[in-house]
Amino acid sequence: MTAIVWELEWRIATARRRLLVLNVVVPLFLVLPVAMGAAPAVHAAAVYAVLFAIFSTFGSAIPLVRDGESGLSGRVLRAGVAPASYYLQRTAAGAVLDVLQLGPALAVAAVGAGAGPRAFLAAFLTLAATVWVANLLGVLVAAATRSLAEAALFSAVSTLLLLHASGVFRTPASGSFGATVESVAPFRALHEGLLSMSMMTPVGGGVALGVWCVAMAVATGLLAARLPGSLGVSGRA
Amino acid sequence: MSGSRAGPSADPDPAFEPIVRAVAVSYRYDSGAPALDGVDLEGRPGEIVALVGPNGAGKSTLLRLLAGDLAPDAGALQLPSRRSAAGRVVMGYAGEEACHFESLSGTYNAVFFARAAGLSREEAEAAVREQFDRLGLAEDACRPVSTYSFGARRKLQLVEALAHRPTLTLLDEPFVGLDLDSREALVDLLRDRSAEGGAVMIASHDLDLLPRLADRIVFIHDARVVAGGSTAELLSSVPDVARFEFTLDGGVDRADVVLGEGTTLVDDGDPLVLESDRGHAALPEACLALAAAGARIRAVVVRDAGLAAVFRNVTGAELDA
Repeated sequence: MTAIVWELEWRIATARRRLLVLNVVVPLFLVLPVAMGAAPAVHAAAVYAVLFAIFSTFGSAIPLVRDGESGLSGRVLRAGVAPASYYLQRTAAGAVLDVLQLGPALAVAAVGAGAGPRAFLAAFLTLAATVWVANLLGVLVAAATRSLAEAALFSAVSTLLLLHASGVFRTPASGSFGATVESVAPFRALHEGLLSMSMMTPVGGGVALGVWCVAMAVATGLLAARLPGSLGVSGRA
Repeated sequence: MSGSRAGPSADPDPAFEPIVRAVAVSYRYDSGAPALDGVDLEGRPGEIVALVGPNGAGKSTLLRLLAGDLAPDAGALQLPSRRSAAGRVVMGYAGEEACHFESLSGTYNAVFFARAAGLSREEAEAAVREQFDRLGLAEDACRPVSTYSFGARRKLQLVEALAHRPTLTLLDEPFVGLDLDSREALVDLLRDRSAEGGAVMIASHDLDLLPRLADRIVFIHDARVVAGGSTAELLSSVPDVARFEFTLDGGVDRADVVLGEGTTLVDDGDPLVLESDRGHAALPEACLALAAAGARIRAVVVRDAGLAAVFRNVTGAELDA
Protein backbone atom coordinates (compact mmCIF):
# COMPACT_ATOMS: atom_id res chain seq x y z
CA MET A 1 0.00 0.00 0.00
CA THR A 2 1.45 3.31 -1.05
CA ALA A 3 1.06 6.46 0.99
CA ILE A 4 -2.29 7.34 -0.57
CA VAL A 5 -3.88 8.41 2.71
CA TRP A 6 -0.93 10.68 3.53
CA GLU A 7 -1.26 12.18 0.06
CA LEU A 8 -5.02 12.51 0.50
CA GLU A 9 -4.69 14.37 3.81
CA TRP A 10 -2.31 16.88 2.24
CA ARG A 11 -4.63 17.37 -0.71
CA ILE A 12 -7.56 18.02 1.61
CA ALA A 13 -5.54 20.39 3.78
CA THR A 14 -4.33 22.44 0.81
CA ALA A 15 -7.80 22.44 -0.77
CA ARG A 16 -9.27 23.95 2.39
CA ARG A 17 -7.17 27.10 2.34
CA ARG A 18 -9.41 29.06 4.69
CA LEU A 19 -9.12 26.41 7.39
CA LEU A 20 -5.39 26.18 6.82
CA VAL A 21 -5.00 29.93 7.34
CA LEU A 22 -7.28 29.91 10.40
CA ASN A 23 -5.26 27.10 11.93
CA VAL A 24 -2.15 29.27 11.66
CA VAL A 25 -3.73 32.57 12.63
CA VAL A 26 -5.84 31.47 15.62
CA PRO A 27 -2.95 29.93 17.64
CA LEU A 28 -0.87 32.96 16.71
CA PHE A 29 -3.45 35.34 18.14
CA LEU A 30 -3.83 33.23 21.27
CA VAL A 31 -0.08 33.16 21.87
CA LEU A 32 0.59 36.79 20.97
CA PRO A 33 -0.86 38.53 24.08
CA VAL A 34 0.87 36.06 26.39
CA ALA A 35 4.20 36.32 24.59
CA MET A 36 4.12 40.09 24.42
CA GLY A 37 2.68 40.58 27.90
CA ALA A 38 4.49 40.33 31.17
CA ALA A 39 3.25 36.85 32.08
CA PRO A 40 5.67 34.87 34.26
CA ALA A 41 7.51 32.20 32.25
CA VAL A 42 5.89 29.35 34.19
CA HIS A 43 2.40 30.60 33.41
CA ALA A 44 3.23 31.33 29.78
CA ALA A 45 4.68 27.84 29.28
CA ALA A 46 1.55 26.30 30.80
CA VAL A 47 -0.69 28.28 28.45
CA TYR A 48 1.35 27.30 25.40
CA ALA A 49 1.48 23.63 26.41
CA VAL A 50 -2.30 23.48 26.88
CA LEU A 51 -2.89 25.22 23.55
CA PHE A 52 -0.51 23.05 21.55
CA ALA A 53 -1.60 19.73 23.06
CA ILE A 54 -5.33 20.38 22.84
CA PHE A 55 -4.99 21.80 19.31
CA SER A 56 -3.52 18.50 18.15
CA THR A 57 -5.82 16.15 20.05
CA PHE A 58 -8.93 18.01 18.89
CA GLY A 59 -7.59 18.30 15.37
CA SER A 60 -7.17 14.55 15.18
CA ALA A 61 -10.25 13.33 17.05
CA ILE A 62 -12.94 15.63 15.66
CA PRO A 63 -12.40 15.00 11.93
CA LEU A 64 -12.03 11.29 12.59
CA VAL A 65 -15.39 11.12 14.38
CA ARG A 66 -16.96 13.28 11.66
CA ASP A 67 -15.63 10.97 8.93
CA GLY A 68 -16.78 7.95 10.91
CA GLU A 69 -20.28 9.37 11.30
CA SER A 70 -20.57 10.23 7.62
CA GLY A 71 -19.39 6.76 6.63
CA LEU A 72 -16.30 8.08 4.86
CA SER A 73 -13.79 6.22 7.02
CA GLY A 74 -15.79 3.04 6.54
CA ARG A 75 -15.74 3.53 2.79
CA VAL A 76 -11.97 4.04 2.74
CA LEU A 77 -11.36 0.93 4.82
CA ARG A 78 -13.81 -1.13 2.78
CA ALA A 79 -12.12 0.10 -0.40
CA GLY A 80 -8.95 -1.70 0.58
CA VAL A 81 -6.86 0.56 2.82
CA ALA A 82 -5.56 -1.41 5.81
CA PRO A 83 -6.86 0.05 9.09
CA ALA A 84 -3.40 0.49 10.63
CA SER A 85 -2.14 2.17 7.48
CA TYR A 86 -5.19 4.45 7.38
CA TYR A 87 -4.88 5.69 10.95
CA LEU A 88 -1.10 5.99 11.00
CA GLN A 89 -0.82 7.77 7.64
CA ARG A 90 -3.64 10.07 8.59
CA THR A 91 -2.06 10.81 11.97
CA ALA A 92 1.38 11.38 10.45
CA ALA A 93 -0.02 13.88 7.97
CA GLY A 94 -2.03 15.55 10.74
CA ALA A 95 1.02 15.82 12.98
CA VAL A 96 3.20 17.39 10.28
CA LEU A 97 0.42 19.82 9.42
CA ASP A 98 0.06 20.70 13.10
CA VAL A 99 3.79 21.40 13.38
CA LEU A 100 3.60 23.71 10.38
CA GLN A 101 0.46 25.42 11.69
CA LEU A 102 1.77 25.81 15.25
CA GLY A 103 5.30 26.71 14.16
CA PRO A 104 4.59 30.46 13.78
CA ALA A 105 2.92 30.55 17.22
CA LEU A 106 5.93 28.81 18.75
CA ALA A 107 8.22 31.30 17.01
CA VAL A 108 6.25 34.21 18.51
CA ALA A 109 6.44 32.55 21.93
CA ALA A 110 10.20 32.16 21.48
CA VAL A 111 10.60 35.82 20.53
CA GLY A 112 8.53 36.84 23.55
CA ALA A 113 10.67 34.67 25.80
CA GLY A 114 13.90 35.95 24.28
CA ALA A 115 14.94 32.40 23.40
CA GLY A 116 18.10 31.68 21.48
CA PRO A 117 18.17 29.36 18.45
CA ARG A 118 19.24 26.37 20.54
CA ALA A 119 16.34 26.73 22.99
CA PHE A 120 13.92 27.31 20.13
CA LEU A 121 15.16 24.18 18.36
CA ALA A 122 14.71 22.13 21.55
CA ALA A 123 11.17 23.47 21.99
CA PHE A 124 10.42 22.85 18.33
CA LEU A 125 11.55 19.22 18.52
CA THR A 126 9.53 18.55 21.66
CA LEU A 127 6.54 20.21 19.98
CA ALA A 128 6.89 17.95 16.93
CA ALA A 129 7.06 14.79 19.01
CA THR A 130 4.24 15.97 21.28
CA VAL A 131 1.80 16.69 18.44
CA TRP A 132 2.48 13.17 17.10
CA VAL A 133 1.50 11.72 20.49
CA ALA A 134 -1.47 14.08 20.80
CA ASN A 135 -2.70 13.15 17.33
CA LEU A 136 -2.49 9.46 18.20
CA LEU A 137 -4.30 10.21 21.46
CA GLY A 138 -6.98 11.81 19.28
CA VAL A 139 -7.45 8.53 17.38
CA LEU A 140 -7.97 6.62 20.62
CA VAL A 141 -10.30 9.31 21.94
CA ALA A 142 -12.31 9.14 18.70
CA ALA A 143 -12.55 5.38 19.08
CA ALA A 144 -14.02 5.78 22.55
CA THR A 145 -16.67 8.31 21.59
CA ARG A 146 -19.97 8.24 19.75
CA SER A 147 -20.46 11.86 18.73
CA LEU A 148 -18.59 15.05 17.98
CA ALA A 149 -19.62 16.50 21.34
CA GLU A 150 -18.24 13.47 23.17
CA ALA A 151 -15.07 13.68 21.12
CA ALA A 152 -14.58 17.32 22.13
CA LEU A 153 -15.26 16.51 25.77
CA PHE A 154 -13.03 13.43 25.90
CA SER A 155 -10.25 15.21 24.02
CA ALA A 156 -10.26 18.07 26.51
CA VAL A 157 -10.48 15.81 29.57
CA SER A 158 -7.81 13.33 28.50
CA THR A 159 -5.39 16.01 27.33
CA LEU A 160 -5.82 18.14 30.42
CA LEU A 161 -5.36 15.07 32.61
CA LEU A 162 -2.12 14.18 30.86
CA LEU A 163 -0.97 17.81 31.01
CA HIS A 164 -1.68 17.78 34.73
CA ALA A 165 0.23 14.50 35.12
CA SER A 166 3.07 16.06 33.15
CA GLY A 167 3.52 18.77 35.77
CA VAL A 168 2.20 21.60 33.65
CA PHE A 169 -0.15 22.96 36.34
CA ARG A 170 1.84 22.22 39.47
CA THR A 171 5.29 21.04 40.49
CA PRO A 172 5.11 17.82 42.53
CA ALA A 173 7.35 17.35 45.52
CA SER A 174 10.58 15.59 44.67
CA GLY A 175 10.36 11.82 45.30
CA SER A 176 6.57 11.85 45.51
CA PHE A 177 4.23 9.68 43.48
CA GLY A 178 3.32 12.75 41.43
CA ALA A 179 6.97 13.29 40.57
CA THR A 180 7.27 9.68 39.42
CA VAL A 181 4.21 10.04 37.20
CA GLU A 182 5.54 13.32 35.84
CA SER A 183 8.84 11.73 34.89
CA VAL A 184 7.09 9.34 32.50
CA ALA A 185 4.22 11.58 31.37
CA PRO A 186 4.04 12.43 27.66
CA PHE A 187 3.75 16.22 27.79
CA ARG A 188 6.51 16.93 30.30
CA ALA A 189 9.13 17.39 27.59
CA LEU A 190 6.99 19.95 25.75
CA HIS A 191 6.40 21.87 28.97
CA GLU A 192 10.06 21.88 29.86
CA GLY A 193 11.02 22.76 26.30
CA LEU A 194 8.73 25.77 26.46
CA LEU A 195 10.05 26.74 29.91
CA SER A 196 13.62 26.49 28.73
CA MET A 197 13.00 29.15 26.09
CA SER A 198 12.96 31.80 28.82
CA MET A 199 14.53 30.07 31.83
CA MET A 200 17.37 28.27 30.02
CA THR A 201 16.65 25.19 32.15
CA PRO A 202 17.50 21.71 30.86
CA VAL A 203 14.75 19.86 29.01
CA GLY A 204 13.78 16.61 30.75
CA GLY A 205 11.32 13.95 29.73
CA GLY A 206 12.73 13.47 26.25
CA VAL A 207 13.22 9.73 26.64
CA ALA A 208 9.71 9.26 28.02
CA LEU A 209 8.30 11.28 25.12
CA GLY A 210 10.21 9.10 22.65
CA VAL A 211 8.79 5.99 24.27
CA TRP A 212 5.29 7.49 24.08
CA CYS A 213 5.80 8.27 20.38
CA VAL A 214 6.64 4.66 19.60
CA ALA A 215 4.23 3.02 22.05
CA MET A 216 1.23 5.06 20.93
CA ALA A 217 1.99 4.33 17.27
CA VAL A 218 2.33 0.60 17.96
CA ALA A 219 -0.86 0.60 20.05
CA THR A 220 -2.78 2.41 17.31
CA GLY A 221 -1.46 -0.01 14.69
CA LEU A 222 -2.38 -3.04 16.76
CA LEU A 223 -5.80 -1.74 17.77
CA ALA A 224 -6.66 -0.30 14.36
CA ALA A 225 -8.58 -3.31 13.09
CA ARG A 226 -10.60 -3.40 16.31
CA LEU A 227 -11.48 0.26 16.51
CA PRO A 228 -15.24 0.41 16.83
CA GLY A 229 -18.08 1.74 14.77
CA SER A 230 -17.59 5.39 15.66
CA LEU A 231 -14.64 5.30 13.28
CA GLY A 232 -16.67 3.66 10.57
CA VAL A 233 -14.89 0.33 10.65
CA SER A 234 -18.01 -1.66 11.26
CA GLY A 235 -21.29 -1.13 12.94
CA ARG A 236 -24.87 -2.17 13.32
CA ALA A 237 -27.68 -1.10 11.06
CA MET B 1 -34.11 -18.36 0.11
CA SER B 2 -34.44 -22.05 -0.35
CA GLY B 3 -31.98 -23.36 -2.88
CA SER B 4 -34.70 -25.09 -4.86
CA ARG B 5 -36.74 -21.95 -5.35
CA ALA B 6 -34.36 -19.06 -5.57
CA GLY B 7 -30.91 -20.41 -6.14
CA PRO B 8 -29.58 -22.01 -9.27
CA SER B 9 -29.33 -25.76 -9.11
CA ALA B 10 -26.12 -27.30 -7.82
CA ASP B 11 -23.48 -27.12 -10.51
CA PRO B 12 -20.46 -29.37 -10.25
CA ASP B 13 -18.30 -27.13 -12.45
CA PRO B 14 -15.96 -25.25 -10.05
CA ALA B 15 -15.95 -22.31 -12.47
CA PHE B 16 -19.55 -21.77 -11.41
CA GLU B 17 -18.96 -22.14 -7.68
CA PRO B 18 -20.62 -19.20 -5.93
CA ILE B 19 -18.42 -16.17 -5.38
CA VAL B 20 -20.53 -15.25 -2.38
CA ARG B 21 -23.02 -17.26 -0.38
CA ALA B 22 -25.31 -16.60 2.56
CA VAL B 23 -26.71 -19.60 4.41
CA ALA B 24 -29.63 -19.15 6.82
CA VAL B 25 -28.43 -15.66 7.64
CA SER B 26 -30.33 -13.68 10.25
CA TYR B 27 -29.73 -10.16 11.46
CA ARG B 28 -31.54 -7.93 13.91
CA TYR B 29 -31.53 -4.15 14.12
CA ASP B 30 -30.39 -2.54 17.36
CA SER B 31 -34.08 -2.19 18.20
CA GLY B 32 -34.40 -5.99 18.13
CA ALA B 33 -36.61 -6.01 15.04
CA PRO B 34 -35.56 -8.60 12.48
CA ALA B 35 -33.89 -7.20 9.39
CA LEU B 36 -33.21 -10.62 7.89
CA ASP B 37 -34.50 -13.97 8.99
CA GLY B 38 -32.91 -17.18 7.71
CA VAL B 39 -31.90 -15.87 4.31
CA ASP B 40 -30.09 -18.07 1.77
CA LEU B 41 -28.54 -16.45 -1.26
CA GLU B 42 -25.65 -16.94 -3.62
CA GLY B 43 -23.96 -15.05 -6.39
CA ARG B 44 -22.18 -16.98 -9.13
CA PRO B 45 -19.62 -15.91 -11.71
CA GLY B 46 -21.18 -14.12 -14.66
CA GLU B 47 -24.51 -13.71 -12.93
CA ILE B 48 -26.51 -10.56 -12.26
CA VAL B 49 -28.84 -11.00 -9.31
CA ALA B 50 -31.47 -8.42 -8.42
CA LEU B 51 -32.84 -8.14 -4.89
CA VAL B 52 -36.38 -6.83 -5.09
CA GLY B 53 -38.73 -5.92 -2.28
CA PRO B 54 -40.55 -3.06 -0.61
CA ASN B 55 -38.74 -0.47 1.48
CA GLY B 56 -37.53 -1.95 4.75
CA ALA B 57 -37.65 -5.53 3.45
CA GLY B 58 -33.97 -6.09 4.28
CA LYS B 59 -32.29 -5.68 0.88
CA SER B 60 -29.77 -3.05 1.95
CA THR B 61 -28.92 -4.92 5.13
CA LEU B 62 -28.29 -8.06 3.09
CA LEU B 63 -25.92 -6.15 0.81
CA ARG B 64 -24.10 -4.71 3.81
CA LEU B 65 -23.70 -8.20 5.24
CA LEU B 66 -22.31 -9.45 1.94
CA ALA B 67 -19.99 -6.44 1.84
CA GLY B 68 -18.63 -7.49 5.23
CA ASP B 69 -19.87 -4.25 6.73
CA LEU B 70 -22.10 -6.05 9.23
CA ALA B 71 -21.79 -9.43 10.89
CA PRO B 72 -24.81 -11.78 10.92
CA ASP B 73 -26.45 -12.69 14.22
CA ALA B 74 -27.00 -16.23 12.94
CA GLY B 75 -26.20 -18.27 9.87
CA ALA B 76 -23.07 -18.25 7.79
CA LEU B 77 -21.60 -16.02 5.13
CA GLN B 78 -19.12 -17.33 2.61
CA LEU B 79 -17.34 -14.24 1.31
CA PRO B 80 -14.50 -14.10 -1.21
CA SER B 81 -10.93 -13.29 -0.18
CA ARG B 82 -10.47 -9.58 0.29
CA ARG B 83 -7.86 -9.33 -2.46
CA SER B 84 -7.16 -11.31 -5.59
CA ALA B 85 -3.82 -12.95 -6.29
CA ALA B 86 -2.95 -9.81 -8.23
CA GLY B 87 -3.49 -7.74 -5.10
CA ARG B 88 -6.71 -6.11 -6.21
CA VAL B 89 -9.72 -5.73 -3.94
CA VAL B 90 -12.27 -8.30 -5.07
CA MET B 91 -15.39 -6.42 -4.06
CA GLY B 92 -16.95 -3.20 -5.25
CA TYR B 93 -19.73 -1.79 -3.09
CA ALA B 94 -21.91 1.27 -3.48
CA GLY B 95 -24.29 1.58 -0.57
CA GLU B 96 -26.72 4.18 0.63
CA GLU B 97 -24.12 6.60 1.96
CA ALA B 98 -22.89 8.83 -0.86
CA CYS B 99 -20.08 10.47 1.12
CA HIS B 100 -16.97 11.75 -0.59
CA PHE B 101 -14.01 14.01 0.03
CA GLU B 102 -16.06 17.11 -0.69
CA SER B 103 -13.26 19.61 -1.20
CA LEU B 104 -11.51 17.43 -3.79
CA SER B 105 -12.42 16.81 -7.41
CA GLY B 106 -14.48 13.88 -8.61
CA THR B 107 -11.45 12.52 -10.43
CA TYR B 108 -9.28 12.66 -7.32
CA ASN B 109 -11.96 10.88 -5.29
CA ALA B 110 -12.41 8.11 -7.84
CA VAL B 111 -8.69 7.66 -8.44
CA PHE B 112 -8.11 7.48 -4.69
CA PHE B 113 -10.62 4.65 -4.28
CA ALA B 114 -9.28 2.81 -7.32
CA ARG B 115 -5.74 3.04 -5.96
CA ALA B 116 -6.97 1.87 -2.56
CA ALA B 117 -8.38 -1.16 -4.36
CA GLY B 118 -4.94 -2.00 -5.72
CA LEU B 119 -4.63 -0.21 -9.06
CA SER B 120 -1.50 1.77 -9.87
CA ARG B 121 -1.95 5.50 -10.32
CA GLU B 122 -1.82 5.16 -14.12
CA GLU B 123 -4.27 2.24 -14.17
CA ALA B 124 -6.60 4.08 -11.82
CA GLU B 125 -6.55 7.27 -13.88
CA ALA B 126 -7.24 5.37 -17.11
CA ALA B 127 -10.07 3.32 -15.57
CA VAL B 128 -11.67 6.38 -14.00
CA ARG B 129 -11.43 8.39 -17.23
CA GLU B 130 -13.13 5.60 -19.16
CA GLN B 131 -15.96 5.23 -16.66
CA PHE B 132 -16.47 8.98 -16.33
CA ASP B 133 -16.89 9.06 -20.13
CA ARG B 134 -19.32 6.16 -20.13
CA LEU B 135 -21.46 7.49 -17.28
CA GLY B 136 -21.45 11.07 -18.58
CA LEU B 137 -19.43 12.52 -15.75
CA ALA B 138 -16.42 13.72 -17.76
CA GLU B 139 -17.50 17.37 -17.76
CA ASP B 140 -17.70 17.40 -13.98
CA ALA B 141 -14.46 15.50 -13.46
CA CYS B 142 -12.33 18.40 -12.27
CA ARG B 143 -14.89 20.18 -10.12
CA PRO B 144 -14.93 19.74 -6.34
CA VAL B 145 -17.51 17.17 -5.28
CA SER B 146 -19.14 19.80 -3.04
CA THR B 147 -20.51 21.38 -6.24
CA TYR B 148 -21.98 18.11 -7.58
CA SER B 149 -25.67 17.43 -8.07
CA PHE B 150 -27.28 14.36 -6.48
CA GLY B 151 -27.07 12.50 -9.78
CA ALA B 152 -23.41 13.33 -10.27
CA ARG B 153 -22.63 12.11 -6.76
CA ARG B 154 -24.38 8.83 -7.48
CA LYS B 155 -22.42 8.40 -10.69
CA LEU B 156 -19.19 9.12 -8.86
CA GLN B 157 -20.05 6.56 -6.21
CA LEU B 158 -20.69 3.98 -8.94
CA VAL B 159 -17.36 4.74 -10.61
CA GLU B 160 -15.66 4.34 -7.24
CA ALA B 161 -17.27 0.93 -6.84
CA LEU B 162 -16.60 -0.29 -10.39
CA ALA B 163 -13.32 1.24 -11.57
CA HIS B 164 -11.16 -1.61 -10.28
CA ARG B 165 -13.34 -4.19 -12.08
CA PRO B 166 -14.43 -6.09 -8.98
CA THR B 167 -15.23 -9.79 -9.06
CA LEU B 168 -18.14 -9.18 -6.72
CA THR B 169 -20.17 -6.02 -7.29
CA LEU B 170 -22.78 -5.01 -4.70
CA LEU B 171 -24.92 -1.99 -5.54
CA ASP B 172 -27.77 -0.55 -3.52
CA GLU B 173 -30.35 1.28 -5.67
CA PRO B 174 -27.78 2.11 -8.35
CA PHE B 175 -30.30 3.64 -10.78
CA VAL B 176 -31.70 6.24 -8.39
CA GLY B 177 -30.82 9.75 -9.51
CA LEU B 178 -29.50 8.69 -12.92
CA ASP B 179 -30.80 10.12 -16.19
CA LEU B 180 -31.88 7.78 -18.97
CA ASP B 181 -28.53 7.76 -20.80
CA SER B 182 -26.64 7.09 -17.58
CA ARG B 183 -29.00 4.26 -16.68
CA GLU B 184 -28.29 2.60 -19.99
CA ALA B 185 -24.56 3.20 -19.55
CA LEU B 186 -24.72 1.59 -16.12
CA VAL B 187 -26.59 -1.40 -17.53
CA ASP B 188 -23.75 -1.81 -20.04
CA LEU B 189 -21.13 -1.49 -17.32
CA LEU B 190 -22.83 -4.14 -15.22
CA ARG B 191 -23.16 -6.44 -18.20
CA ASP B 192 -19.43 -5.96 -18.79
CA ARG B 193 -18.73 -7.00 -15.20
CA SER B 194 -20.90 -10.04 -15.69
CA ALA B 195 -19.35 -10.91 -19.07
CA GLU B 196 -15.91 -10.81 -17.46
CA GLY B 197 -17.04 -13.44 -14.97
CA GLY B 198 -17.98 -11.19 -12.07
CA ALA B 199 -21.01 -11.64 -9.87
CA VAL B 200 -23.25 -8.59 -9.65
CA MET B 201 -25.89 -8.10 -6.97
CA ILE B 202 -28.14 -5.09 -6.99
CA ALA B 203 -30.99 -3.99 -4.78
CA SER B 204 -33.43 -2.01 -6.87
CA HIS B 205 -37.02 -0.90 -7.24
CA ASP B 206 -36.61 -0.37 -10.96
CA LEU B 207 -39.08 -2.93 -12.28
CA ASP B 208 -38.85 -1.67 -15.85
CA LEU B 209 -35.14 -2.17 -16.08
CA LEU B 210 -34.57 -5.31 -14.02
CA PRO B 211 -36.25 -7.82 -16.34
CA ARG B 212 -33.77 -7.03 -19.11
CA LEU B 213 -30.74 -6.72 -16.82
CA ALA B 214 -30.98 -9.41 -14.17
CA ASP B 215 -30.37 -13.10 -14.80
CA ARG B 216 -32.00 -13.93 -11.53
CA ILE B 217 -34.41 -12.12 -9.26
CA VAL B 218 -34.83 -12.66 -5.55
CA PHE B 219 -37.88 -11.25 -3.81
CA ILE B 220 -37.44 -10.20 -0.20
CA HIS B 221 -40.39 -9.39 1.99
CA ASP B 222 -40.57 -8.88 5.77
CA ALA B 223 -36.93 -9.96 6.27
CA ARG B 224 -37.33 -13.23 4.35
CA VAL B 225 -36.66 -14.40 0.85
CA VAL B 226 -40.12 -15.25 -0.42
CA ALA B 227 -39.39 -16.24 -4.01
CA GLY B 228 -36.66 -16.29 -6.54
CA GLY B 229 -35.56 -17.71 -9.81
CA SER B 230 -34.46 -16.81 -13.28
CA THR B 231 -36.12 -13.70 -14.61
CA ALA B 232 -37.68 -15.63 -17.47
CA GLU B 233 -39.11 -18.28 -15.12
CA LEU B 234 -40.64 -15.70 -12.82
CA LEU B 235 -42.19 -13.67 -15.60
CA SER B 236 -43.65 -16.76 -17.22
CA SER B 237 -45.33 -17.66 -13.94
CA VAL B 238 -47.84 -14.83 -14.32
CA PRO B 239 -50.24 -14.16 -17.17
CA ASP B 240 -49.69 -11.29 -19.57
CA VAL B 241 -50.38 -8.62 -17.02
CA ALA B 242 -50.33 -5.00 -18.15
CA ARG B 243 -50.08 -2.11 -15.76
CA PHE B 244 -51.65 1.27 -16.60
CA GLU B 245 -50.59 4.32 -14.63
CA PHE B 246 -53.07 7.16 -15.11
CA THR B 247 -52.43 10.79 -14.30
CA LEU B 248 -55.80 12.42 -13.72
CA ASP B 249 -57.08 15.98 -13.46
CA GLY B 250 -58.55 15.78 -9.99
CA GLY B 251 -59.38 12.50 -8.35
CA VAL B 252 -61.93 9.80 -8.83
CA ASP B 253 -64.01 7.87 -6.34
CA ARG B 254 -62.81 4.28 -6.18
CA ALA B 255 -66.39 3.05 -5.85
CA ASP B 256 -67.34 4.69 -9.14
CA VAL B 257 -64.73 2.81 -11.16
CA VAL B 258 -66.36 -0.24 -12.65
CA LEU B 259 -63.82 -2.43 -14.37
CA GLY B 260 -64.19 -5.42 -16.63
CA GLU B 261 -63.19 -8.93 -15.72
CA GLY B 262 -59.45 -9.40 -15.17
CA THR B 263 -58.75 -5.71 -14.54
CA THR B 264 -58.16 -4.46 -11.00
CA LEU B 265 -57.61 -1.12 -9.37
CA VAL B 266 -54.26 -1.49 -7.63
CA ASP B 267 -53.72 2.04 -6.37
CA ASP B 268 -56.15 4.97 -6.40
CA GLY B 269 -53.46 7.51 -5.59
CA ASP B 270 -51.54 9.64 -8.05
CA PRO B 271 -50.89 8.02 -10.43
CA LEU B 272 -53.94 5.81 -10.33
CA VAL B 273 -52.81 2.29 -11.17
CA LEU B 274 -54.82 -0.43 -12.90
CA GLU B 275 -53.59 -3.87 -13.80
CA SER B 276 -55.16 -6.28 -16.27
CA ASP B 277 -54.35 -9.88 -17.00
CA ARG B 278 -55.68 -9.32 -20.52
CA GLY B 279 -52.58 -7.37 -21.42
CA HIS B 280 -52.43 -4.09 -23.31
CA ALA B 281 -55.73 -4.86 -25.02
CA ALA B 282 -57.54 -3.85 -21.85
CA LEU B 283 -56.41 -0.21 -22.11
CA PRO B 284 -59.37 1.19 -24.10
CA GLU B 285 -61.83 -0.43 -21.73
CA ALA B 286 -59.92 0.92 -18.72
CA CYS B 287 -59.98 4.43 -20.16
CA LEU B 288 -63.71 4.20 -20.76
CA ALA B 289 -64.29 2.92 -17.22
CA LEU B 290 -62.41 5.86 -15.74
CA ALA B 291 -64.19 8.33 -18.00
CA ALA B 292 -67.51 6.83 -16.95
CA ALA B 293 -66.49 7.39 -13.33
CA GLY B 294 -65.98 11.06 -14.07
CA ALA B 295 -62.20 11.03 -14.33
CA ARG B 296 -60.39 13.34 -16.73
CA ILE B 297 -57.33 11.54 -17.99
CA ARG B 298 -54.25 13.70 -18.63
CA ALA B 299 -51.71 10.95 -19.34
CA VAL B 300 -51.29 7.22 -19.14
CA VAL B 301 -48.15 5.13 -18.93
CA VAL B 302 -48.41 1.48 -19.98
CA ARG B 303 -46.04 -1.02 -18.43
CA ASP B 304 -45.71 -4.76 -18.18
CA ALA B 305 -46.69 -5.53 -14.62
CA GLY B 306 -44.49 -8.60 -14.67
CA LEU B 307 -42.39 -8.51 -11.52
CA ALA B 308 -44.91 -6.53 -9.49
CA ALA B 309 -47.52 -9.16 -10.34
CA VAL B 310 -45.20 -12.01 -9.37
CA PHE B 311 -44.52 -10.33 -6.06
CA ARG B 312 -48.24 -9.85 -5.43
CA ASN B 313 -48.94 -13.48 -6.29
CA VAL B 314 -46.36 -14.66 -3.78
CA THR B 315 -46.96 -12.25 -0.91
CA GLY B 316 -50.38 -10.77 -1.44
CA ALA B 317 -48.72 -7.40 -0.86
CA GLU B 318 -47.89 -4.56 -3.22
CA LEU B 319 -44.25 -4.13 -4.13
CA ASP B 320 -44.47 -0.36 -3.93
CA ALA B 321 -45.95 -0.44 -0.44
